Amino acid sequence: MTRDAGLAHLDAYLAQVQRHVRGLPDAEVREIVAELRAHVLDKVEGRVSPAAVEAAIAELGSPREIARLNITERVVARAEARRTPLSVLGGVVRLAGLSAYGLFAFLVSVLGYGSALAFLATAAVKPFAWDRAGLWITRNAPDDYIASWHLGITDNPRLGHEILGVWIIPIGIVAGLLAGWLTWRFNLFSLRLMGRRARRGR
Amino acid sequence: MGRDQDGPAGDLAGWETQLRKGALSLAVLAILWSGRLYGLEILKRLDAEAGLAIPEGTIYPLLNRMKAEGLVASEWVEADAGHPRKYYSLTPEGRRRARDMAAGWRAFAAGLSGLLAPLDGDPR
Repeated sequence: MTRDAGLAHLDAYLAQVQRHVRGLPDAEVREIVAELRAHVLDKVEGRVSPAAVEAAIAELGSPREIARLNITERVVARAEARRTPLSVLGGVVRLAGLSAYGLFAFLVSVLGYGSALAFLATAAVKPFAWDRAGLWITRNAPDDYIASWHLGITDNPRLGHEILGVWIIPIGIVAGLLAGWLTWRFNLFSLRLMGRRARRGR
Repeated sequence: MGRDQDGPAGDLAGWETQLRKGALSLAVLAILWSGRLYGLEILKRLDAEAGLAIPEGTIYPLLNRMKAEGLVASEWVEADAGHPRKYYSLTPEGRRRARDMAAGWRAFAAGLSGLLAPLDGDPR
């Protein structure tokens, strides 16, 4: 029966969609799948053959594409509603796997919040580990111009030269807060950009 | 963003597409003004009446967002077709928004028409 084969093809597609949108609340997943099912059945206008179903599916987009559009829409809306750094970061993490830009934004946030934490932690630890915490320049030899930077706590302070002294405390606090704020703004910008792209079907 | 076509003709087509897409949410609200419709009907009327052929998969996230914003409501209706359909209708808030957006659109269009008027008479 071509009708049964058509329906089987549709159900296979919808099962894939369901797998790709996992992570959304169950009720929303059911709603998305039921609506796509109705869409395809209306689109084929009663001729439920595998070919007709395939044509309707092709116009809707791949399960991955459908998932990206639907998840992005909801994640961006949720992050927009509460723009706290944590909820915005949560949105970026959620979208990291859905597009190349999503992955890029995620990596930038790891780097941004990572350096923010490093600055703040170094400033906080400095009073308790005077000799070992700070911003270090280390050279392999005294006349070696290739220097490497090291922020934080070192086990072997003799190998390098600590350049900020007590100033690491105010500088670390300001640099840490600035890096954190910039990362938060970047994440918010990224979510909005991904939202706009999804709305255009890209 | 990205340009799909090159050259002046491509720029013109791209500009027209952007222009239409900017009016997408107003067009959806206007289409729902006279009564409830399901997704595929909205897509068909967008294409036929506003020249807005959007990727089919994007209409449902858009309707979902409008629902979250309180502009539309949805209900599942058992249809003669043999499967239920999800119908969308305007909420009072959606009707208010549609009227406000239409007023903004008309004011902008009237202003622009004034600017464009000199272009008609001069064949240079």
